[in-house]
Amino acid sequence: MSGVLPTTVIVAGLVLAGYAGVMSARDRRMDVPLLIAVGVVEVIVLVLVGLVVGKLAGGGRPAGGSATLIGYLIAMPIVPVAAAFWGLLERTRWGPAVIAAAGLVMAVLVVRLHQIWPVIHV
Amino acid sequence: MASPGPVAPPEPALSPPDSTRTGPGRLLVAVYALFALAASARAGVQIATKFDDAPTAYLLSAFAGVVYILATVTLAIGSPMARRIAVLSCSVELVGVLAVGTWSLADPATFPDATVWSGYGSGYGFVPLVLPVFGLLWLRRLAKRA
Repeated sequence: MSGVLPTTVIVAGLVLAGYAGVMSARDRRMDVPLLIAVGVVEVIVLVLVGLVVGKLAGGGRPAGGSATLIGYLIAMPIVPVAAAFWGLLERTRWGPAVIAAAGLVMAVLVVRLHQIWPVIHV
Repeated sequence: MASPGPVAPPEPALSPPDSTRTGPGRLLVAVYALFALAASARAGVQIATKFDDAPTAYLLSAFAGVVYILATVTLAIGSPMARRIAVLSCSVELVGVLAVGTWSLADPATFPDATVWSGYGSGYGFVPLVLPVFGLLWLRRLAKRA
């Protein structure tokens, strides 16, 4: 996996998943530090998405067509935010469980994104 | 500004209409929503851009998307009628992933491109295989509680 930024997002997603998973296991509900962690992941994702959009704007295209790629670019910033809202509604350990799932999903999405178009090598 | 009333927050009762989406249901609905989005979007792209490559596979993919959407919405609503539909939806989903999974392995030519249920959901970490089981178990647990 080349590229520090994609790797960073993957690691951030996994760390978020681990952190939220531990909270869930310890029967904690969602709190501000977890939300901040989600926010950090969201910011890094937005940077990555921004760079890919920049490449597209510069005329680059993924080999298999852009539709799937664009789908990923739209979905990736939404997942952490949607998970945060949904998890906040929950007053039990299952709130952080939603965040843990979202962290895993983010890691997978970045891996797939990079497979579709390995264009960010920063 | 509303006048201050009783302070206690409205904690969910033991089995109110929306209890399908609280507790473990919170995670269940989240995962279902994810798959509803992923399956529908993927099927949409496949059908829009290369339908002729594998029409059967892509139509099955679209069907899976619809089933996931239905399961997500009914699990989120949680009314008695919604729960009945959810049971049906998750059952269809389970049969679907088993049937399409088997079919995709027995007849790979019909599935040149992976779909959500191909290989029993192997492209998605086999989550499509276990998800309907959890859905049905969750619904049954709530039905017993009521």
